[in-house]
Amino acid sequence: MLSKVPLPQQFDRLIVTGGIVTSVFVILILTILLILKFVGFISYTEVFFWLISSGMIIGALASVFLKNIVHAVFSLLAPLLGIVAIYLFLGSEFLALAQLLIYGGGVVILLLFALMMTDVQDNPVVIDGSQKPVGFIIAVLIGFVLLYSIFTADIEIATPSSLSLADLGSNIFTQFLIPFLLLGILLDIALTGALLNGKKHKNLQSSDSDE
Amino acid sequence: MIPLENFLILSSILFCIGFYGVLSRKNAILILISVELMLAAVGINFVAFSSFYDTERYSGHIFALFVVAIAAAEVGLALGIIIRLFRERKTINIDEANELKW
Repeated sequence: MLSKVPLPQQFDRLIVTGGIVTSVFVILILTILLILKFVGFISYTEVFFWLISSGMIIGALASVFLKNIVHAVFSLLAPLLGIVAIYLFLGSEFLALAQLLIYGGGVVILLLFALMMTDVQDNPVVIDGSQKPVGFIIAVLIGFVLLYSIFTADIEIATPSSLSLADLGSNIFTQFLIPFLLLGILLDIALTGALLNGKKHKNLQSSDSDE
Repeated sequence: MIPLENFLILSSILFCIGFYGVLSRKNAILILISVELMLAAVGINFVAFSSFYDTERYSGHIFALFVVAIAAAEVGLALGIIIRLFRERKTINIDEANELKW
């Protein structure tokens, strides 16, 4: 099993290539944004916001379009960690922290474990289906509808307000108590189900009895 | 200050990218990644609306927190199913998982 882990050659190349590509993109976008800042179009807050959001979009595109599964999973880190910064922009520190811990620490590691246990070493390059153009057309249409409705909506000007942790806790444990308890039951059921599902059954004819 | 529209546009773009990934990929883990992208985009929408307009109850923050927890449960369960599928069929290509029972 350990010989199937894609370390270290692929990992080294992955880190070096990813670092070079990321730094080229970040430096390019940061240069454009700082020029705009010194010309006077935008403020430092907007520089940071545009940098984060462009990084998120590039990472999301990479995780959808890249052929190599390991590269795609690592590219997913960019949008998932960019959301932490977006939550901080919107003034929700606890949510940003929870997102960072659960997604950056938990979900991506779980995905990498699943990759390790499946056939990533034998054929890391996936071939996408023939439904690709249809999917592209549908996604563009949905994006057009969403963006059109955003641009034509009558949104009144407001300023975001930050939420303190004490308010969040008192809201969860008073108004949203029953959904919170149901969520605990759901997590319990899901993890028990995952455990039972992953267990080997004695009466099932498994083709790999050597594991 | 950044207006609400920017957050909405960002979340729409992320949602569409995730949707395209769900439709175009055939590998089960990559489909799961795209679903994660869509859930994250929805979380941005919830938190943005709640932070701008619902300043009394902050329901959107709490919903986003619930979405994070449910996404964690979903990833655990889905990866269990995918590993089980790989153990019995030697593939995680969803086109080859075309029987309900074997």
